[in-house]
Amino acid sequence: MGRPGIAWAVPGVLFFVLFAVGPMALVVYLSFTSWDGLGAFPSVSGTGNWERLFDDPTMRQAVWLSIVLTAASWLIQTPIALLLGVWSAGRQKNRAVLSAIFFLPLLASSVALALLWKSLLDPNFGLIAEIGPWFGLEDGNLLGSGRGAMAAVAFVAAWQFIPFHTLLYQGGARQIPKSFYEAASIDGAGTVRQFFSITLPQLRNTIVTSSVLMVVGALTFFDTVLILTEGGPGTDTTIVPYLMYETGFQAYDMGYASAVATVLVVVATAISLLMVRVSGFSSMRSTREGM
Amino acid sequence: MRTALLGSAKTGRRGFRRRHAVTLTAAALATSLLAACGSGGPGESKADTLEVWVYQDASTKVQRDAVERFNKNSDVKAKLVEVPGEGYQDKMRSAMGTPNAPDVFFNWGGGSISNFVEKDMLVDLTPEFEKDAEFKESFIPSILEAGKVDGKYYGVPMRGMQPVILFYNKEVFAKADAEPPNSWEDLLGLIDTFKKEGVTPFALAGTDAWTELMWVEYLLDRIGGSEVFQRIQDGDSKAWGDPAVLETAETIQDLVDRGAFGKNYKSVNYTADGASTLFAKGKAAMHLMGSWEFSNQKANQPEFADKHLGWTTFPALPDGKGDSKSVVGNPTNFWSISSKLKGKQREAAIEFVKTASEDWYAKALVDNGDVPTTSDSEDLVASHDAPDYAIYQYDMVRDAPSFTLSWDQALPAQQASPMLTNIQKLFNKQISPEEFVDAMKALK
Amino acid sequence: MKTATRPEPRPEQRPRPTEPRPRAPQARNDRGLRGRLRSVRKWNVPAGVASLVWLVIVGLPLYVLVLTTLRDRDAYFDEGSLALPGDLTLDNYRKVLESDFFTYLLNTAIVTVATAAIVIVLSVGVGYTVVRTLSRTSQRIFQFFLLGLAIPAQAVIIPIYLLITQMNLYDSLLAIILPTAAFCLPVCVLILAGTMRDIEEEMYESMALEGASQTRVLLQLVIPLSRGGISTVGVYSALQAWNNFLFPLILTQSRESRVLTLGLYDYVGQFRVDIPALLAAVVLSIVPIFVVYLFARRQLVNGLMGAGGR
Repeated sequence: MGRPGIAWAVPGVLFFVLFAVGPMALVVYLSFTSWDGLGAFPSVSGTGNWERLFDDPTMRQAVWLSIVLTAASWLIQTPIALLLGVWSAGRQKNRAVLSAIFFLPLLASSVALALLWKSLLDPNFGLIAEIGPWFGLEDGNLLGSGRGAMAAVAFVAAWQFIPFHTLLYQGGARQIPKSFYEAASIDGAGTVRQFFSITLPQLRNTIVTSSVLMVVGALTFFDTVLILTEGGPGTDTTIVPYLMYETGFQAYDMGYASAVATVLVVVATAISLLMVRVSGFSSMRSTREGM
Repeated sequence: MRTALLGSAKTGRRGFRRRHAVTLTAAALATSLLAACGSGGPGESKADTLEVWVYQDASTKVQRDAVERFNKNSDVKAKLVEVPGEGYQDKMRSAMGTPNAPDVFFNWGGGSISNFVEKDMLVDLTPEFEKDAEFKESFIPSILEAGKVDGKYYGVPMRGMQPVILFYNKEVFAKADAEPPNSWEDLLGLIDTFKKEGVTPFALAGTDAWTELMWVEYLLDRIGGSEVFQRIQDGDSKAWGDPAVLETAETIQDLVDRGAFGKNYKSVNYTADGASTLFAKGKAAMHLMGSWEFSNQKANQPEFADKHLGWTTFPALPDGKGDSKSVVGNPTNFWSISSKLKGKQREAAIEFVKTASEDWYAKALVDNGDVPTTSDSEDLVASHDAPDYAIYQYDMVRDAPSFTLSWDQALPAQQASPMLTNIQKLFNKQISPEEFVDAMKALK
Repeated sequence: MKTATRPEPRPEQRPRPTEPRPRAPQARNDRGLRGRLRSVRKWNVPAGVASLVWLVIVGLPLYVLVLTTLRDRDAYFDEGSLALPGDLTLDNYRKVLESDFFTYLLNTAIVTVATAAIVIVLSVGVGYTVVRTLSRTSQRIFQFFLLGLAIPAQAVIIPIYLLITQMNLYDSLLAIILPTAAFCLPVCVLILAGTMRDIEEEMYESMALEGASQTRVLLQLVIPLSRGGISTVGVYSALQAWNNFLFPLILTQSRESRVLTLGLYDYVGQFRVDIPALLAAVVLSIVPIFVVYLFARRQLVNGLMGAGGR
């Protein structure tokens, strides 16, 4: 029988090459220039940016902060989303209503949420000035300390993304066959044991999916950082994407910013490879085999 | 769950809706692409318009008037683009690298345009000033000098002068029975006075590092004199190693330790009026800020601005080399013209920027609460609706032995941006004064 | 992925992911299910408690958000954010609506629809080739796309800025649409390839027997049967476009081409200390997608789940 030719894929491939792969190659090239953002195509000026990169304490700090933020996001979001997801998988009416409310933060853009939280976290006029003391934050100055600001970024990200991951777990939990629980009940397994011996193992693939998305997503907290903390106080929330933005579009040191960006691209490509490996995405097996 | 999704897709209704969906998608694609191309078409610099970019704030209305007046008598029409304050500098810089660069644009002179001058992107206005003596003489010379890059004029002063002034809240001072500081000891004493009152001595917008920079600028000026930064500005990065810089950094941290800025300064902003609101609401006693603070307060807290806003100079430091009459800040803002303009458009642009030297323009600035930088404005200034403030400011600038341009504007972006970060770290005590000096020496 | 631990139910019996209520027949007939539900409720007590805590964490900020937008600016500063306001006002909303809000909304709508449309058209083409062509090249193409899975578009903003400038597209909506769409492709190709693989071989064969052209197979068999995947791809790319902030920030500047996210950011400069007006803009920016959510909750939720299930 006839099969379609490669031609069907050509527009997509060309488009992808022009606007995604091309720029990725270009960013590597630019990292060897000292482009200042003005004028036409810059020419190569040597490896100065790379030497500087490996010697830059701000870059080292940014890498560390990115790792911390990713880890913190995972540690905060996974347990909460897992519990909420399994809970909301139940089909009771009250759960459906609450799930709908939990879903709300997902409707807002990162910018909108960052603006909301920035005003809520204003130590003088915001919500935190009133409720901060309940949590031992007498002056409500969360954004003023390095750790506090980092915690705020992680919290706002969690607030924004937990609904999405809850949804994933909800979907996953609903696919667990009921017979498993019935059998376990007959065997006299308690609720906690059912959770750990059935729910958790059955959700293994969902946990992998959700975790991968969290890791990838943590690379994009840039919007939140820009609006909430501007990378500060000092450089205490300057994660790698923000450092790239600041170097590129505030200091106009585009060459050096490209070197920073190249690191991001390399790390992200490595994560992609890992995802493809772990998940077997690239094999030709049918998705019927299930997530 | 993907499988579940597929399941639902398969059991879903098929039929006529399918074709409908395809047509809709195609139609949507076509229309939206058309719309996307249509709106804001790229780089169409029409020969009979001038795109004029200005920083949007309370003073923008003078430029609005200028455009309106200019358009009445000109074939080439000016179109004013008001860019919201936050990020003006970044946006202007991004656009300058593109075909959509503005034709005429607001800037701070010095380092804010030096990259453009290097690339030959601006019109050298020196011949215009030489040709037209009246035009040149209409501005205070020291102000005009500040717009120079590499010995040439690239800017026409177009806004009020903006020295940094020490503002104080008279009501709060009265309550504490205090007097504005005349000396450094006075200032240190006031910190304790207001701390006892439960009032933050100085409002400081720590999230906007340029407000912290004002303290560094004045302290270095008072401690080491204006020459120290002049050397830095001229490209001598070793000048950061001057002992006065270290002393300045130590003084900053001493102020922080004394609680001069309270506890919350690290998360207070200026661009969204955080610090100004604290100050006006009596939660802070003093505020070191550019002279625009007056019109800003006038717009947001008119009652406070009229009744309780006081001002004074930054005091001298004991054993300091600087002159306490020296001023830091932005001498003014400038119009610059893009060199891509040719022929009729360039002529029109030059005509347009010259309107800033006209009498009515100075008058409009005064009416708006600004103090113009034109040389014969003394009488005008007296008609300012806060004449005391305007005359104080005008005299302060006229009599200043030096007027240091804000460092973040004097230095090119590649140095200014890391400098601001280092200053913020200094205030947050994330680095020591010595580390600050080392970091600054390393900038190139 | 692995199937060993989970017997796959037949499609018809699979629970629908977002069905809000139990299906009537089951609830009526199945006493055992009732018992199970009770036990589910019991073993979910910790989750139940957590959900109430979470309700406060989600609800309180939203409450303050809405309340603040109904206050007058001075009241916000004087009364504090938790107090019930004395006088409610809609002035803040008026202020926002008068500040080009609809222009920004229209631009965002154009960007969102165009991005989704481009992504759908291109990824259907690629997906079809990947699934149906048996050549090595098509596998290479697939793997090529997969390498881009985790790469955030932000990482290449600098070369994109250079590229868009050179293409003379700076400050146009296309400057946002084109790169956004390109970076959606890997995920969307993956989703669609997955969906299309589920179409059974026999169906192609019967189409082939009828002598259908490849185009007809695509239009009459593949696309209709991939509707689930296509809607996921649509929702995913639309959300990417809707949320996009960095591209508009760097690649556009004028009021005419400003999208909603950038408009919100610029309102900070415009409204300055007027927090109630700023938050009113935040609320208004959520309203359009909230309306979509009300009318198409299932599709939206399914789409999001599908995007996650990639």
